[in-house]
Amino acid sequence: MEVSLKTADADLLRELRSGDRIDVAIKTIYRSYFDSLGWYVMNNNGSRQDAEDVFQEVVVSFIDLVQKNKFRGESGIKTFLFALNRHAWLNELKKRGRTLKREEKYNKGQELTETNVSDVMIDREDRMQIINLLEQLGDTCKKILLLFYYDNFSIAEILDNLHYENEQVVRNKKSKCLKQLQQIIREKPELKQTLKNLLNG
Amino acid sequence: MDNSTPGMTEMLIKYMDGELGGRERQELEQRLTSDTTLRSEYEEFLLAREAVGQYGLHQKVAGIHQQMMNELKTPVRKISKVTRIIRYSMAAAAGVLLLVAGIIVYNNSKLSPEKIFAANYRSYEISAMRGENEQLVSRLEKAYSEKKYAEVVNIVFDRPYSIHENFLIAMAWMELRNTQKAIDQYKIVIKEAGPANLLREEAEYYLALAYISNKQYSLALQQMEEIQKKPAHLYYSKITPTFISQVKKLNSQ
Repeated sequence: MEVSLKTADADLLRELRSGDRIDVAIKTIYRSYFDSLGWYVMNNNGSRQDAEDVFQEVVVSFIDLVQKNKFRGESGIKTFLFALNRHAWLNELKKRGRTLKREEKYNKGQELTETNVSDVMIDREDRMQIINLLEQLGDTCKKILLLFYYDNFSIAEILDNLHYENEQVVRNKKSKCLKQLQQIIREKPELKQTLKNLLNG
Repeated sequence: MDNSTPGMTEMLIKYMDGELGGRERQELEQRLTSDTTLRSEYEEFLLAREAVGQYGLHQKVAGIHQQMMNELKTPVRKISKVTRIIRYSMAAAAGVLLLVAGIIVYNNSKLSPEKIFAANYRSYEISAMRGENEQLVSRLEKAYSEKKYAEVVNIVFDRPYSIHENFLIAMAWMELRNTQKAIDQYKIVIKEAGPANLLREEAEYYLALAYISNKQYSLALQQMEEIQKKPAHLYYSKITPTFISQVKKLNSQ
């Protein structure tokens, strides 16, 4: 399947970085690599559901690395995704108390061509805790912060979307929401470290 | 403990958002270097912004994930008995037709190493990073990413080549259609790369293709069989029974 795709690695990376065509790029990743990466999980004690969950986790981590310019690209996207997938699945197996003997051997003295995968990929539980942080905010706060910090909307554009009285009201609301999130993070030192790792690599 | 004033907190947010300019910005930057409490508060805002980014990305992928899973799953639909009989009959008829067509095509087209090579070879692409990591990309890697293959094979370093560089030299020889040189180079990669290095698996697959191109079919088959023994190999799924039987046919010609 992947061979028939016209989108080269460089184009895909450009699309992921630019953000304009990110949906198309994500679909390309799924169409190109899910079969082979999912196959690996399913042939190493995993179910179809495991394969899907691990792949989703891999895609999120990969895009994050690409957007932060932490993916050098020297090993090629396919190779790197395989490494992330392998790491994520072995980690999951470890948590379930099962480890593949072959992989245990592989992991000793592991030398990957990219940055060490364990340094750039966080555990699924840690990621879910970050997701839950935002869920603790109200819907409006979540929306304003996402529009501003994730979708890069200006205050004026947010005003158009959420129908506040004026830009200052939006600005105040955004500040209040961010402070609320800051306070929640302050109370969770372990999560702070995870976020620091994500931020600084 | 939070010692900062509400006004200072607002300044920190503005600074993070890139909305603080001139003197205010300079003053704040100075305070951030000397005031650890203030710096700590600023870092918390950066972490909050990171959390929002992570949440946004997660939601974005999750939204597409289900759609793609549905697309990639083979739909299972219940069909009636009559429909099933009709479909089986049509499938059988189509099968016979395909078989006849296959025999015709097979008789008219001769298997060649070039065809097999072309069907299985894919240029190895790298995308050099820009910005902060640019200095990490060697001259050789840069030349390869720019598809300057003749330059790649002629670059000489007064230091040992990395495994990645050796691999790129092998790929450059492949692109230049000098398969013997490529074979020698892949062997170096396989020898030097550890068992967990994924470039070793890349080299093992491309070595098999280089052998095919060089008409050394027995060696190609040996290489392919080695890959076939490892289900976790990057190219395991590429070594299909059809691929193997094609190479075997070439070997017996």
